[in-house]
Amino acid sequence: MAATERGALLAAALALPGVTAAPGAAAQGAPDAAFVQFKYLDYRDWQPGGRRMRVDNPGFYAVKPLSDTLAIEGSIVYDGMSGASPLYFNALSGASGEGVRDYRTAGDVKLTKWFDRFAIGAGAAYSHERDYISRAGTLELRTWTEDRNRTYAFAFSGAADRIHTESGAAERERKYVLDFLAGVTQAVNETLIVQSNLTYSRGHGYFDDPYKLFDRRPDRRRVLAWLTRANQHFPERNGTLKVAYRYLDDSFGADSHMVEAVWHQALPGGWSVTPSLRYLTQKAAWFFRGPPIGSGLRPGEPYTADARLSAFGAFTPGIVVARDFGDGWVADVKVEFYRQKASWRAGGGGTEGLLPFSARWIQVGVGRSF
Amino acid sequence: MVPPLRTLAALLAVALTAGCAAYAPPQPWEKQYLALPAMQFDADRLDVKNVQHVYYSKEGAAGGYGVGGGGCGCN
Repeated sequence: MAATERGALLAAALALPGVTAAPGAAAQGAPDAAFVQFKYLDYRDWQPGGRRMRVDNPGFYAVKPLSDTLAIEGSIVYDGMSGASPLYFNALSGASGEGVRDYRTAGDVKLTKWFDRFAIGAGAAYSHERDYISRAGTLELRTWTEDRNRTYAFAFSGAADRIHTESGAAERERKYVLDFLAGVTQAVNETLIVQSNLTYSRGHGYFDDPYKLFDRRPDRRRVLAWLTRANQHFPERNGTLKVAYRYLDDSFGADSHMVEAVWHQALPGGWSVTPSLRYLTQKAAWFFRGPPIGSGLRPGEPYTADARLSAFGAFTPGIVVARDFGDGWVADVKVEFYRQKASWRAGGGGTEGLLPFSARWIQVGVGRSF
Repeated sequence: MVPPLRTLAALLAVALTAGCAAYAPPQPWEKQYLALPAMQFDADRLDVKNVQHVYYSKEGAAGGYGVGGGGCGCN
């Protein structure tokens, strides 16, 4: 069996959230090859009447085995943002509509050590913007059954964020968030693998958006998310169906349901094509107030007019075309289109008066294992 | 329910039902299909980071895919 195939096999039997990554990386053992990857994301969004935000995002990822049981991986991304954030009920507030130029630099590194029946990982992450700095640390434990068909994952993360705007709207504010994950991955049969994760996030501190007029949010937030995914391979079609469902319970009230379906079709010559469709339906936060801006505002009580906390539905159709060149090189191009409309909320009840929001992103990637 | 949502929900139900109906954990020599790159979850780390970051910045909340990574001023 080829080394990369063995690594992929092990990864398939484990397949963990946000842990396993590159082709050839093995979740139940250190990867047998190093892998480096570069991607460039071009993001644009718009609303009726004009373009809003543009983001240029180059990113780099690498994983390298340090021994048979130890590996290090990390990534660096840079976001160059320009334009204007979405209009909120046609009322300009703070950065919205006035044009902004900002950047974000983020990086993370993780060290993982494998043992016979378990693996432990420790990582750190850092994100820097002009007005926002985030530092985070992560610990992970994964353990698997003797037949390696079932894996349990547990992870813990703590983040400390600092928010400080030049305008003085937020001065040395702090936010602290603890994240917990418990997950199980099961190889159901030769062609089906299922994964279910529970994540719980608990934070306190500054959750306001300092760039939005009157924005004042509760200083505590908890989010419980249940994500279940299944990958079913169809050998006779040389294709794979990937489906996912996520329920999210948010103490802000922005509960949501997300479903996604992806079809991966392998083609001759190392080519593949992968169309996808995602749908999300969301409730409004309990302190969200519809237009006109400022309506329903009561002194001393939480308030937001942030459309991201409104009630809406959103679709994301997309497609990826990729090629495995067979000598360690892989390349792919991804195009996704995102549209958010109040009337698409499942069961109705979307926030009235919101402008539809649209975005598209094109991502070009190249990677090499060696 | 929005029509495409019905389709997606049906696909999910079919996949999960099929899985329950055919529970037969594979032997080590029966894992060649599970080893395919397309069968991995979150195989493309940068893609997952980028796309989840977009959703995190445009929707109410995020979760389920992992922990860590820290916050940002985008939401």
